[in-house]
Amino acid sequence: MPKTISLTVNGKAYSGEVEPRTLLAHFLRDSLRLTGTHLGCVVGRCGACTILWNGTPVKSCMIFAVQAAGDEIVTVEGLAQDKRLHPLQEAFWKNDAVECGYCTPGMLMSAYGLLSKSSKPTEEQIKKAISGNLCRCTGYGNIVAAIKDAAVNFTK
Amino acid sequence: MNFPIHPPIGERVRRKETLRFVTGTGRFVDDLLPPGTLHVSFVRSTCAHARIKAIDVEAARAMPGVRAVFTGKDIAQHVKPLRVGGSSVLRPVKLYPLAVDKVRYFGEPLAVVVADNRYLAEDAVDTVAVDYERLPVVVDPETAMEPGAPAVHEDAGSNIVYKYHFATDGIDKVFQDAEVVIKERIRSHRITACPIEPRAYLAHYNKDEDSLTMWSATANPHSLKGRIADVLSFPEGKIRVIAPDVGGSFGLKIQTYQEELLLPYISRELGLPIKWCETRVEHMRNGRHGRDQIHYIEIALKKDGTMLGIKDKIIADMGSTYTVDHSIMAAALYMTGVYQIQNYAVDAFGVSTNKTTHGSLRGIGKADASYVLERLVDIVARELKLDPIDIRLRNFIPADAFPYRNATGALYDSGQYHLAMKRTAEMVGYDRLRKEQTELRKKGVYRGIGVALVMEPTSSSRIHATGGYASCRLRIDPSGAATVFSSMGEQGQGHETTLAQIVASQTGIPFDKITVIHGDTLPTPYGFGTGSSRSSVVLMPSAWVAGKLMRDKLLGIAARQLGVAPEKLEIGDGKVFAKENQEQSVAVMEIIRTAYGAIHLLPENMEPGLEVTGYFINPNINYTPDDKGRMNTFSSYPYAAVIAVVDVDVETGMIKIVKYTTVHDCGNMINPQIVDTQQQGSIMQGIGAALYEELRYDDDGQLLSSTLMDYRLPSAEEVPELALEHIITPNPFTPLGAKGAGETGMLGPPPALCNAVEDALSPLGVKVRETPLTPDRVLDLIEKAQAKSAHA
Repeated sequence: MPKTISLTVNGKAYSGEVEPRTLLAHFLRDSLRLTGTHLGCVVGRCGACTILWNGTPVKSCMIFAVQAAGDEIVTVEGLAQDKRLHPLQEAFWKNDAVECGYCTPGMLMSAYGLLSKSSKPTEEQIKKAISGNLCRCTGYGNIVAAIKDAAVNFTK
Repeated sequence: MNFPIHPPIGERVRRKETLRFVTGTGRFVDDLLPPGTLHVSFVRSTCAHARIKAIDVEAARAMPGVRAVFTGKDIAQHVKPLRVGGSSVLRPVKLYPLAVDKVRYFGEPLAVVVADNRYLAEDAVDTVAVDYERLPVVVDPETAMEPGAPAVHEDAGSNIVYKYHFATDGIDKVFQDAEVVIKERIRSHRITACPIEPRAYLAHYNKDEDSLTMWSATANPHSLKGRIADVLSFPEGKIRVIAPDVGGSFGLKIQTYQEELLLPYISRELGLPIKWCETRVEHMRNGRHGRDQIHYIEIALKKDGTMLGIKDKIIADMGSTYTVDHSIMAAALYMTGVYQIQNYAVDAFGVSTNKTTHGSLRGIGKADASYVLERLVDIVARELKLDPIDIRLRNFIPADAFPYRNATGALYDSGQYHLAMKRTAEMVGYDRLRKEQTELRKKGVYRGIGVALVMEPTSSSRIHATGGYASCRLRIDPSGAATVFSSMGEQGQGHETTLAQIVASQTGIPFDKITVIHGDTLPTPYGFGTGSSRSSVVLMPSAWVAGKLMRDKLLGIAARQLGVAPEKLEIGDGKVFAKENQEQSVAVMEIIRTAYGAIHLLPENMEPGLEVTGYFINPNINYTPDDKGRMNTFSSYPYAAVIAVVDVDVETGMIKIVKYTTVHDCGNMINPQIVDTQQQGSIMQGIGAALYEELRYDDDGQLLSSTLMDYRLPSAEEVPELALEHIITPNPFTPLGAKGAGETGMLGPPPALCNAVEDALSPLGVKVRETPLTPDRVLDLIEKAQAKSAHA
C-alpha cells in the first residue's frame, strides 16, 4: 500500500505518495524529477547517487524513501544558491575534475559532507571521503585537487 | 610542416560542458521520462549453453501492471538478424534481439516483460519459468578450437569463426639461423570497460507520424540508426537516434546491443515510449567484454639483444556472439610494436565460447599486443642479462625512420621513442633507482622497476566497419553566433569545447558564442562512433576544414567590400581588416548581414548564407592488402614511455605503486588540460586492469565477478604518485598535427606493472604470466616459485 510522506529537499517541502519499497533515489528522480542524482549500480558501491541525509552523505539507493520521511535531504541541485555556483562546483570546473559528468553529483555531495565537518582536510582524508564514489574517466587526481581547492572558500 | 595552431587552439580552456554536470542539469537517457513511458525488464538465461525447450510467461502476463511479454520466438519472424562484420570473418552467424532456440551465454536475454514501472516489470520477470535442455559448456578458447568441442553455433561448423594469416618471406630461416630464440605463452585476461553510467535506452514510436525516435547511451548514433532500420525493415529516414549526455563509454557503447534493437520493436508494437536502464549486474554479464587473448609468441635475436624476427599465434576468445574482429586485427598487425623488426609471421584465430560477447574496449587488440610484446622484451632482457631500457634503446625505430612502415604494411606517422624513454629514465633518476633497489633488497624490501614503451594505433579505418573520416557542419547565424554540428557524439571527451576552440581560431567568432551539437542524427552529418581515439585525428580536422571554408567565405565577402585581395586580409577583434592597413576594415557582423540579407553584394558565384560542411579523411590508409598482404588501417600512432616503481609485500601479496612516471606523445594538443585529465583516467583504468579487475567464469560458464564488489574498480585511495610529461612530435598527416589521445594511458600499466612486479620478485625466481596481480595471485606466484626452487 502506498504511504504518504513529507520531507524537505533542497530547502523546499514536498509531500507525496510512495510504495514502501521505493528507493529514495527513485523517489527523488522519478517522483520529484530531481534527476541530478544518478544511479550507477543500485547496490551502494558506485556512489553516483550520493545525497545528504540530515547533513550526512549517504547513497540514496540504499535507503527507502519512507525512511526519509520528515527529514532533510540535499541533492546536487541544492548546491548552487541564487544561480551562483557553490565553491565546490566552481573548483570542480576550474580543476577539470569532470569528464562524462555521471559520477560528478555524487562526488560533489561526498565532498560537501567532508568539508562541512573538516575545513582543512589532508589529501588522505579527501581520498578516503570519496573512496565510495567511483569515477572511471578522470583518474581522481583533479577531483582531489578540486576538493582541496574548495576547502579554502567552503561555506555551508 | 607548419601547423596552424592559433589561440584558442592549444590553450587550457575550461570545458563548456562541465557547467551542466556540476549543477546536476546534464541530461542522460535515464533522466528522460516522456508521458506514458513503459518500462522493461529482461528474463535472462541462467545457463551458459542450453536449448530452450519452453518458456512459460502466462503468470507474468497476469501480474499487476504488466502490459506485454515477448519471447525470442514471438519476435524472430518479425525482425531480421543483425549483420556480422570484419575482414577475417570465416563464418557469419545470426544474432537476434532475444535468444530464439538456444542460449549461448549466462545472462543472454530470452524474454522481456513490459510494465508500468521498473519494479512491476522485475516482479513479473521472477515468475517466468524457462525449461532448459542443458548442453555441454565450453569456456576455454583453446578447448573450443579442438575438433569435437561443443559447438557454440552449430550452423557455423566450427568454433573458429575468424582467421588471419600473415608472414614475411624467409621468416623460418631467420629463426633457424638466430643465436637466440625465446618462446613464451602470455595471456591478457578478460576485463570490461565499466563506465559509471550503465547502458540505457528509450525508444518512442510515434504512430501519427509513423516515425521512431531512439534515445540511446550510445557512442555510435549514426550506425545504430542504420542497424535499427535494417533489423526492423523500417525506413532509415524516419528514424532519429539521439545520444544525449552519455556517462562514459571506453569502447563499450560503440557497439550495437540486442536490447538496443529490441526496444524500438516493442515501441512500434505498443505505440508507446519504452525505456530500459540496465542494472550493474546486467552490465557485467551483457556489456561487451574485452582483452582475453592468448599469445604463443617467439622472438629471434642476436646474443647482444638485437631483435631479428617475431612469430606469434593468437587465440582470441570472442565469447558467444561476436560482431567485430577489430581485436584480432589490431593485435595481429602490430606485434612488432615499436621495434625495427621486419621479419614477422602471425596466425590469429577468433574463437567462439560460451561467454558474453567480446567487443570494443579502450585499446582493443592494441593493448593485448603491447602488453604481450612489452612483457616479452622484459623476459628477453632478463634472460640475456641486459638492462630493460638498454635492450629497448638498441631496437627502437629511430626518429629519422618515420614515417615508418612495419612488416605488415602499417605506416607509423611519427615518433621519438628514444627521446621519450630517455626522458622518462631521467625523470625517475633511473641509475639511482637501481642502486636504491640493491640497498633495499638487503633490508628485505622487494622493490621493482618496470619499464615499457607502449604504442597505440589510433583512428581505425576498416571497410564497412569504422569508416576513415569524420565531418562537421558549421553555421554562423544571422545573430553572429556559430553552431557546429558534429558527426561524432561525446561521452566525456569534451568535444563541445575543443570543436569550439578550433572554430573560434579559424573564424574569429568568440569561443563563448559557439555551440556544439552532437549525438543527434537529425541535424548532424553522418559519421562513425567515438572510438579508436579518432576525435583528435579526424573529427577535429574536419572542424578545421569547415572553419577554413567559413573563413574563406568571410574573407571573400570582405574582399569585395574592401577592394582588397582575400589573402591580404586578416580576422580579429570582430573585424576583417587589411594586414597592411588596419584602418581598412569591415565588421564581421556586417559581413554576416551581407551573407544573409544583402546578397547582391556577394562576390560572383558565391552562395548566400553562412553554412559549410567540412570532411576530413584519414590520410595514408591502405584499406585493402597489397600482393604481400600488407595494409595500413590506422592513421596515427601515439605512444608513451613508462617507468613504474613498486614495492611488493611478500607476506600479504599487496603491491604498492611507489611512483608511476610516463612521457606521452600524442602530437599537438588542441586542449592540453583535456588531454592531461583523460590521460590520468586512462592510466587509472590501466592500473585497474593490471592489478584488480578480472571477469572470471567457472567451468559451467557462470560469471563469478558480476558486481562491483567482486569486479573491483580502482577508487581514489588507489591513486599512486603520478608524473606525467608530454613530448610533441606532430603528426605530419593531419592539419592540426594531432594524434589520438585517449587510449595510450591505459596501455602502459599492464606491462609496466607486471614487469615491475617480476623485477621486484626476481630474487625469488617469480615469473609473472597470469594477471591481474591481485594479492592472492602474487602469493600464489611466490609459492610456486619457492616450490620450484625447493625441487631444484
